[in-house]
Amino acid sequence: MTSIGTGYDLSNSVFSPDGRNFQVEYAVKAVENGGTAIGIRCKDGVVLAVEKIITSKLLKPGANKRIATVDRHVGIVSAGLVPDGRHFVSRARDEASSWRGVYKGPIPVSALSNRLGSYVQAYTLYSSVRPFGVTAIVGGWDSEAELAVDGQVGTGPNAGSGGKVEGAKAGGPGLYMIEPSGLYWGYYGAATGKGRQAAKAELEKLDLGSENLSLLDAVKEAARIIYVAHEDSKDKEFELEMSWISSLDGPTKGRHEEVPKELLEEAEKAAKRALEGEDEEEDEGTKSNEGERMQE
Amino acid sequence: MNHFPELWGRPRDDVYGPYNSSYLKSTGPKTHTQSPAVTGTSVVAVKFNGGVAIAADNLASYGSLSRFTDVKRLRVFGESAVVGFSGDVSDMQYIDRLLESIDIRENYSTHGNLLNAKNLHTYLSKVFYKRRSDFNPLWNHILVAGFDGDKKPFLSSADLLGTTYSGPHLATGFGAHLAVPILRRLFPEEKPIEEITKEDAVSALRECLKVLWYRDARSLDKYSIAIITEDGVELNEDQKLEEQSWAFAESIKGYGAQVV
Amino acid sequence: MFRNNYDNDAVTFSPQGRIFQVEYAQEAVKQGSVVVGLVNKTHSVLVGLKRNAEELSSYQKKIIEVDSHMGIAIAGLASDARVVSNFMKQQSLSSRMTYGRPIPVDRIVTQIADRAQTNTQQYGKRPYGVGLLVAGVDEAGPHLFEFQPSGMIHEMLACAIGARSQMARTYLERHLDEIESSSRDELITHGLRALKETLSQDKELTVDNTSVGVVGLAGEGAKGKIESFKLYEGQQLLPLLETVEQQDSGETKEGEGMEVDS
Repeated sequence: MTSIGTGYDLSNSVFSPDGRNFQVEYAVKAVENGGTAIGIRCKDGVVLAVEKIITSKLLKPGANKRIATVDRHVGIVSAGLVPDGRHFVSRARDEASSWRGVYKGPIPVSALSNRLGSYVQAYTLYSSVRPFGVTAIVGGWDSEAELAVDGQVGTGPNAGSGGKVEGAKAGGPGLYMIEPSGLYWGYYGAATGKGRQAAKAELEKLDLGSENLSLLDAVKEAARIIYVAHEDSKDKEFELEMSWISSLDGPTKGRHEEVPKELLEEAEKAAKRALEGEDEEEDEGTKSNEGERMQE
Repeated sequence: MNHFPELWGRPRDDVYGPYNSSYLKSTGPKTHTQSPAVTGTSVVAVKFNGGVAIAADNLASYGSLSRFTDVKRLRVFGESAVVGFSGDVSDMQYIDRLLESIDIRENYSTHGNLLNAKNLHTYLSKVFYKRRSDFNPLWNHILVAGFDGDKKPFLSSADLLGTTYSGPHLATGFGAHLAVPILRRLFPEEKPIEEITKEDAVSALRECLKVLWYRDARSLDKYSIAIITEDGVELNEDQKLEEQSWAFAESIKGYGAQVV
Repeated sequence: MFRNNYDNDAVTFSPQGRIFQVEYAQEAVKQGSVVVGLVNKTHSVLVGLKRNAEELSSYQKKIIEVDSHMGIAIAGLASDARVVSNFMKQQSLSSRMTYGRPIPVDRIVTQIADRAQTNTQQYGKRPYGVGLLVAGVDEAGPHLFEFQPSGMIHEMLACAIGARSQMARTYLERHLDEIESSSRDELITHGLRALKETLSQDKELTVDNTSVGVVGLAGEGAKGKIESFKLYEGQQLLPLLETVEQQDSGETKEGEGMEVDS
């Protein structure tokens, strides 16, 4: 690596002569070793999924959740340093709650992502901190229903609130991915972590831009993609964790929830079947034997 | 002509005496939070076999004016708790937001360990006590209904001072004077809660609301009722006390301008 | 000579995306004497090996009660453990005060983990040099958590941290099914046997160097929903150690009972 030994990579917030912040690039390295995390956005909801490598037989199965609920309608999954991921989620919860404090309503997913992007970016500016070792995927559903006036105790006037346009479309799904640099984009399908290349390739095949995939199918695709992405580290066992947020008339009623057990099992079964059908001729065991267990 | 505009339009001192501005003091602590503005009246609640029933009318008064007639004063928390509010309505809205933020926080993790009605009551009583100790009280008297940690029906009260008490049936506001005696007669102390059915409880509450409607001038015949059982909360917010009539009032003697 | 420049503080990533200061802190945990934790369906047990600095000194405390429904076992810097355990005690009390309920175990573990994470992302701080096993019960049943200086936490079925803990982990992995379906007393025995695995040839478990903590759901007919955290030390350990001894001698040949004098 050209960065090593130059002295420009020893502190955060320092540019190298060719304009790079190496500490941020190193943080990305931490992400690239983490378990694969993906998000799929479709017309009627969002699915989040993560591959959890089982580092020990002694771990309690099914516990140790990695997808977090931020507000009723938003979930976050991340790849990289797990404790940094928790810090990120905790900030997201604070933002969502302070938004409610000011605006008396749920924070739009876009606004939340924007604020988190700014927060993460701030950790690239100072030598007194290090950047986040996570790339996080934020998924949520902005309610399409008219918001009740805050503290509405009665039914209020029957006419709509001021400026209301009849039949105007409001709300919908939101999916964003925030990187250690603070950079973020909106996505139809997002992937990060070790298996991101394979996962991205699979996501691109889904043609998510045309919004034809249903939420239920997206759950199955998400499971399959995690299984495909896991092919490269086949020697390790893993657990699949998935959550979803549907529209108000969908299965989760606009809330972020774990995918129900039966559906999860069904999706995993289908994923395994799909994999067996495929040709599995890969022998690239990218092994890294780091002693630490901060990333999973 | 007087050239001081701030003195224009004032009653003349030589005619009316100097203006007593003592009550317009601009110094000293704020005191406006120490009295309510828009208020709701009684909340009544009864424990029965397997749950709790709680009711309140849908009125918010501004002083003696019936200001809002479709106000929902019963608030559901989580799966099986209901808070009934009397007192200041804006403080109720504040507490409602507080409850919402707690509910969101409690649901970050999905497995078990949710706050029950008893936990909620403990928390709210601390909030009330903290605020009154700051001389900035939340001007409410609430009843919390639901279940405790042992899954037994739970009913407790907390007021603006942080005072708490519980009982098999409770009422706030005028209800504390008018409804509680009725409930005590219907459900005497020696009668165990296991012998009170849901229907008994509901009809008792209705009876109380009727009496309150006739005798509490700041009350309404439209009301909300919530029934909390193991299966969850059943909340009805647009109930009406049917066939109430003031016709008998004509025959009441001894008041007003009646001659005969 | 080559010097690693990336390990001076906790706010510098190495080119591989590692944080050496945090990894070094994990080493401090490995220097501490071993503690073992394990759960079955009703109970959570902690077992620890106490060390004394010299023959005449007292033994270092390994298991601390945090609240009546929870305790921790420590490996690493004891002074850091005291900071963490004091924080846990405060949080437990505050939950009892404001909500009238014992704090859920995962909640408090996440709180200390979040604090530990802060120490790995800010200059001028150092990571905690202690690892914990947290045993507790709440409405969701008994729990065992492992906490690391990195801020990593894991809910475990069984776990061991500290010096030579690998032997204990091997024992636990081998007996995982038995542990899951064991009774309260069997669970303690498994814990002690796992601990015994880590001992060097010339060492034995005695009433002085062993510590056991038990917490769980109350059995039928007991009053209250939980069996409060109980710490077994000194003579109270005799019957527990004897059970282990009997089992071992039953497995090999009936040898002379272990000396349990001090």
